[in-house]
Amino acid sequence: MLVYILQRLLTALVTLFGMSVLIFVLLRLVPGDIVDIIFSSAGFVNPAAKAELARELGVDRPIAIQYVHWLKDVAEGNLGKSYRYDVPAWQVVKPRIPVTLELAALAIVIAVVLGIFTGVVSAARQDSALDYALRLLSLGGLSMPSFWLGMMIIFFLVSWVGWIPSMVYVSPREDLRAHLLQFIFPALAVGYRGSALIMRITRSSMLEVLGEDYIRTARAKGQREWPVIFRHALRNAMLPIVTVIGFEFAFMIGGLVVTETVFNLPGVARYLVDAILWRDYPVAQNLVMLIGFAVVAVNLSVDLLYGYLDPRIRYGA
Amino acid sequence: MCRRFHSLVFSALGSILFAATVFAAQTPKSGGILNATLIEAPPSFSIHEEVTISTVWPMMSCYNNLVLFDPLKKQESLETIIPELAEKWALQDGGKSLIFFLRKDVKWHDGQPFTSKDVKHTFDTVREAPGITGKLRVNPRQLWYENVESIDASTPDAVVFRLKRPQASLLLMLASGYSPIYPAHVPVSELRAKCLGTGPFKLKEYRQGELIEMVKNPDYFVKGRPYLDGIRYTIIKDRSTRYAALQAGRQDIPFIWEVARMPAEAAKRSVPKLTLTESSTNVNDHVLVNLTKPLFKDPKMRLAITLAIDRQGYVQAGRQGAAILGGVMLPRPYGVWGLPEAEQKKVPGFGDPAKQKAEAKKLLAELGYGPSKPLKFTVSTRAIPIYVDIAGYIIDQFRQVGIESTLEQVETGVWHAKMTRREFDVAVNATGIGPDDPDANLYENFKCGSARNYSAYCSEEMDRLIEQQSQVIEREKRLKLVNAIDKRLQLDGARMMLGWSKEYVAMWPYVKNVVPHQSIYNYGRMQEVWLDK
Repeated sequence: MLVYILQRLLTALVTLFGMSVLIFVLLRLVPGDIVDIIFSSAGFVNPAAKAELARELGVDRPIAIQYVHWLKDVAEGNLGKSYRYDVPAWQVVKPRIPVTLELAALAIVIAVVLGIFTGVVSAARQDSALDYALRLLSLGGLSMPSFWLGMMIIFFLVSWVGWIPSMVYVSPREDLRAHLLQFIFPALAVGYRGSALIMRITRSSMLEVLGEDYIRTARAKGQREWPVIFRHALRNAMLPIVTVIGFEFAFMIGGLVVTETVFNLPGVARYLVDAILWRDYPVAQNLVMLIGFAVVAVNLSVDLLYGYLDPRIRYGA
Repeated sequence: MCRRFHSLVFSALGSILFAATVFAAQTPKSGGILNATLIEAPPSFSIHEEVTISTVWPMMSCYNNLVLFDPLKKQESLETIIPELAEKWALQDGGKSLIFFLRKDVKWHDGQPFTSKDVKHTFDTVREAPGITGKLRVNPRQLWYENVESIDASTPDAVVFRLKRPQASLLLMLASGYSPIYPAHVPVSELRAKCLGTGPFKLKEYRQGELIEMVKNPDYFVKGRPYLDGIRYTIIKDRSTRYAALQAGRQDIPFIWEVARMPAEAAKRSVPKLTLTESSTNVNDHVLVNLTKPLFKDPKMRLAITLAIDRQGYVQAGRQGAAILGGVMLPRPYGVWGLPEAEQKKVPGFGDPAKQKAEAKKLLAELGYGPSKPLKFTVSTRAIPIYVDIAGYIIDQFRQVGIESTLEQVETGVWHAKMTRREFDVAVNATGIGPDDPDANLYENFKCGSARNYSAYCSEEMDRLIEQQSQVIEREKRLKLVNAIDKRLQLDGARMMLGWSKEYVAMWPYVKNVVPHQSIYNYGRMQEVWLDK
């Protein structure tokens, strides 16, 4: 087990290193840099002032040197200074992390609860009207992008209720009700899409397990239907579901970018787009690394969860 | 008799009651927080270092100018300039000196007194005079003050701008939202992250990328102002969300540069109580041809290109009716320097579309282009929907005279750099002008060597005319000269003007005294704004 964990950790480290190179190079391959943007939109171009700013921001150095400096700074816990806002990048990013984490957590809870429950019910009532209805529901989730659903929620609220959640972040300490109302709609928009895939995998995995001999045996011994489904079938059907949940987490980050914008939540995902557009390298590359790190960590956790969910799996054997 | 007497008494009482109601309704009320909207976080709070309305709009409430365009008058001109930190001003030495007499009762938000040294510090910093203590990181408006030779602040309550030559526009530029007075006792670099002004509002809180909260300055030098207790500028990036927030009453006023007509009208249809104001943004749409390329050096070629475009079609198809035709300067009724309509109609490109297209084809044939050898070039534009819409329309117009052009969409981040380096054939562009003033427009966009003169148009004679108009103090005489320059620039194909976009501001009727001007950069002080709630 220990060897397996070490192997996975090593793979994660190599992945993160590869990611750091890719992020660093790709960001700089995009035409234009922050100095270009600041000066050319200003209209008046003084070449000496432009060169001075490039020197001040360090974008005039060779790309390899910039990369080494970045790694060194990150190792020392220094995320650099935002080019655009002229303040430490961490100061800009820090207050946004809890917002995105909370939204992601809520969305994944909604996706998992809704997806697994509807998947199980759909499998247990295969080919019934309920099954068709739930499959249609999941098809809707797969077809609708979360940002579009978010917009529809906003339009519905404005048109029918004449109300929308606060446009400014409300902390739970300040007003718990307003806080929850602010998060529940975007979490629903993102979570619904995630639930659709989980539902389909749960259904197909459950259908496979429900045909196994040990399920027939449990039923033959007179066990009631729902304990058979949840205690025996679902646990054995969980492996592919957990894998999909891991994937969904990665996809969810993409969904959050636009959903945070639509619901005006001051999260990391929304800010990342700004940082890329402004070529604010310190902020953009650190945010992408942070997101990459979260995805790698989730996938690692999923790998480790396999052993717990299915004791027959023995790592490194 | 008795009945008549009663009727007279009742009508008198009625009139008094009506007058009292009207008076009460129009008497400004103090208090309340205005929920205003921004579309992005300001890159910094330092107005002198920025070129975006996202900085000027919220930060204007923190500062004062020497003089300002009257926030309650729609049209900005020399006649609508009112005093702020300067109580009065006068031209001396035949227009070569401009003296301002300053208020003596003004304090900075930190309690320090305001003096003429602050004025000198501000404009010496902007014009990068020798011996300045702090330098601006980016200095976009240094050119505005190129004609200032020195600033004399030898007495605390007066300041003299000594000019190299008379310049009628200096006062207009000083009245712009882009010309606040900075405190001499605070390094300019610190003003990027905070605002310390003399203005009606102080900065209470800034949540990066989310909210700017201003609070009333209790020591403001104008007694009884501001009316509001504070302003919350909420940053809402998504346009649909911004309109939803306005309709739901979360926001009282939209972002002031919401130019699109359709969403504003849709908001008004959903919430009929909203008021809809049509205004101008002082932004013009135009087509640029790259004059550094041999293909476009021939005036016949430029004439053919401009004749190919139906301007009325641009208003309808490109801007969905939300634009007016005009030349280089903003036309009336929004602006004061534009060509009269009758004159503008005589400019090639603004006449009968069918006749002009036939003429364009004839000119192209004379130049050797036709169905067997079509003229080909790329049309570049910013990858922003409104730009792409207009570019799509222009490409179709070109196609109708046999020009084969392809669209190149350029990301905003590199657009200006690409244009400055003249890496384009033909471009569809929009340019916003700060104050509606010939100097602010002509020097930046048409003078030889200016970085923003994207087409690289250069004429010694035109440069001389631009200098000449700048020195004419008498308004009517200057207007004639500016009109002549406007016409000439269009005839030369320096920029193929299409028109000027209009904005549609939807807001709640209880918001009083937010009066959209013809330039978005000059009316964000908020001193006179009040809420009739």
